[in-house]
Amino acid sequence: MLPPGSSVEGVVELSEAVCSISYALDTVESTIKRVSDDRFGAIATFIGTTRNSFQGKVVTKLEYQAYTKLALKTMTQIIVDARNHTPDFRAVVQHRIGVVGVGEPSIVIAVASPHRNEAFRTCEFILEEVKRKAQIWKREYYEGEDESEAEWKSNV
Amino acid sequence: MSFPAHITVLYFAAASTTLGITDELVPIPEKGLYLSQLTELLIERHSQSSLNTLRKILDSSQWSIDAEMVDDEDLTKVELKDGMEVAVICPVSGG
Repeated sequence: MLPPGSSVEGVVELSEAVCSISYALDTVESTIKRVSDDRFGAIATFIGTTRNSFQGKVVTKLEYQAYTKLALKTMTQIIVDARNHTPDFRAVVQHRIGVVGVGEPSIVIAVASPHRNEAFRTCEFILEEVKRKAQIWKREYYEGEDESEAEWKSNV
Repeated sequence: MSFPAHITVLYFAAASTTLGITDELVPIPEKGLYLSQLTELLIERHSQSSLNTLRKILDSSQWSIDAEMVDDEDLTKVELKDGMEVAVICPVSGG
């Protein structure tokens, strides 16, 4: 079955933040360069990768879909909300769609801010909010199971 | 009776896997159909699918209209109109 026509690549550029959904991720190095600025003393990054097991079952791969235009709106609002706590930061949030193999990254978040406290906190805030709200779905495939039986997961 | 208006319904994840489709054009009456009634309409349209699974999925999903989420308590207040893009938002699992 083909992925939904609305599960496409997309980018939103805000002032001091970029959110994107894409089939491949930029390198962590280039992402770090994008958020860097001489006014910042701290850069926190989070990379989510595909684990090889779930409740005793061997995971062979993950597949992600997004309702991209809505997911990007949601990610934009998350950045706006983060600025209510911490006005001064620059962030990049990238989420992959398509098949993500074991050990591969599915999400990269980089946050640069003047001090380490805000960098860590904002990075975590963005991650937890993306997991809670972004219109993105993950399907987990297990070894020995028919692909048609693979379940769509829920973060709830 | 033919309906003069249509909405586009988008399915993702479990909803699309269960139905075997990712989107469809659904005829609706020009007035008087509310978002809270859409579940029943979709179940009627797909009566050959595994109904229990479909109903469970739709009951546990949220909805968006034209890429804006609709609060659960507003479902009875939102009237469906011609041209709307309605998406079934199953519980998410990004990040």
